[in-house]
Amino acid sequence: MTIDRTLAIASRIINQIARDHRSLALIIVAPVIVMSLVGFSFADQQPILDQIAPGLIGAFVLFFVFILTGVSFLRERSQGTLERLLTTPVGRADILAGYLLGFLPFAGIQALVILLYTIFALRIEYEGYLWQIFVLLVVVTIMAVNLGIFISTFAGNEFQVVQFIPVILLPQIFLSGAVLPFEQLPGYFQAVGRFLPLTYVVDGLKAIMLQGETLWGIGLEIAVLGGFAIGLLVLAAITLRRP
Amino acid sequence: MPPVFEADKVEFSYGPLNVLNGLTLAVNQSEIFGILGANGAGKTTLMRLLIGLQQPSSGSVRVFGEPPSSRVTGRIGYMPQLSALYQELSARQNVDFFARMYGLSRSAERREAVDQAIEWVALTERQKDPLTRLSGGMRQRVSLAIALVHKPDLLVLDEPTVGLDPELRASFWEHFRNMAAAGTTIIISSHTMDDATHCHRLAFIQEGRVVALGSPADLRAATGSSDATLEDAFLHFIRQGGPS
Repeated sequence: MTIDRTLAIASRIINQIARDHRSLALIIVAPVIVMSLVGFSFADQQPILDQIAPGLIGAFVLFFVFILTGVSFLRERSQGTLERLLTTPVGRADILAGYLLGFLPFAGIQALVILLYTIFALRIEYEGYLWQIFVLLVVVTIMAVNLGIFISTFAGNEFQVVQFIPVILLPQIFLSGAVLPFEQLPGYFQAVGRFLPLTYVVDGLKAIMLQGETLWGIGLEIAVLGGFAIGLLVLAAITLRRP
Repeated sequence: MPPVFEADKVEFSYGPLNVLNGLTLAVNQSEIFGILGANGAGKTTLMRLLIGLQQPSSGSVRVFGEPPSSRVTGRIGYMPQLSALYQELSARQNVDFFARMYGLSRSAERREAVDQAIEWVALTERQKDPLTRLSGGMRQRVSLAIALVHKPDLLVLDEPTVGLDPELRASFWEHFRNMAAAGTTIIISSHTMDDATHCHRLAFIQEGRVVALGSPADLRAATGSSDATLEDAFLHFIRQGGPS
């Protein structure tokens, strides 16, 4: 792995996205619109909104970052630029680290917009430290970037990436405790939910935002999410050369 | 001196479709070697095996005496059939990015190499334009500049002259000849006879096999007709399906 190649890939991605003003605006506007709709829906039920906000923040960060990364990486594949990159001496580690660094600022901004808009515009009551919530969301973002890169391997076009949403993301939203409390799910759904990353995202966010837990108190959740991030990165590296 | 590129009884298939069927050929240093065949004959697949993007199902491919790997790709400049460029970036940014991928990390050295490659493809005036403002032919030239920027020992060009005007094509061939004279090996795939006439040696391929191999003059002579053109020779061997 060489630092110069990794940084070159990251700065190229940042340069590309920054030049696409419409995409740049949508990265910020789309989550605001969605969270506003959620806010309007629960306008007279603030206590319920306070309870489900952690789950929604986690689910929307995973959703938006997955879409951003999956579609961008798929474009690299369909335009042939990824394949051309693979004809140079650049290593897989350089490519994946470069993409992660390149997508992270935009995915991080998106996560921050979701978090701050939900807390301040929708006036959510929360415990814990804001920066600790953001640190957890950064871990989620890294995992979602790796998920997007990995899943893009199996999609032939942007339409197919979108088709992965009901397959990959929707079951997680329903089985993670993001909508209904996890304990209220049937036992067999809880058993499945324990294997899904969003469950640990929701557990961690709820622990900080509703119970005032610290990052150290949610060490298990962070460790599991880190494991998912590493596992997905390994899978992305293995499938990178797939034509 | 061992061949720069060697394919020995190479077979490759996409599912049930056999694309290469025991193809064998060798390309020597400083040669301009043309691979000619109809659409679907296996030219692009052979180039993809050469560059290491795919592996043969049987037989062997060797580049600089070893199987294609990241150890040798730094010595190869590859121009794919589709230009495969970053549309949001300028011509110069595209070339500069790939220069870094080829290991030109020092900025002064890279700036000089990028300047030279862009000048080579006659795009100095338009180098700062985003690709979306360049014509198809100009994008081909950016793609070629990327393949040349690190001064490779082996240049692999998949139909590089498509979309170029005759004047530019003539200028490119003059550069290719100069590069070959300086020791660079050039492997070029094409289906135009205009490109073929510039090559030192040619392989006509059909259904994944070499049906004729030799210099343009040898191949014309092998038809048995004293006034045969290269196109006549190509049709002769392709219709025959093997050497006469």
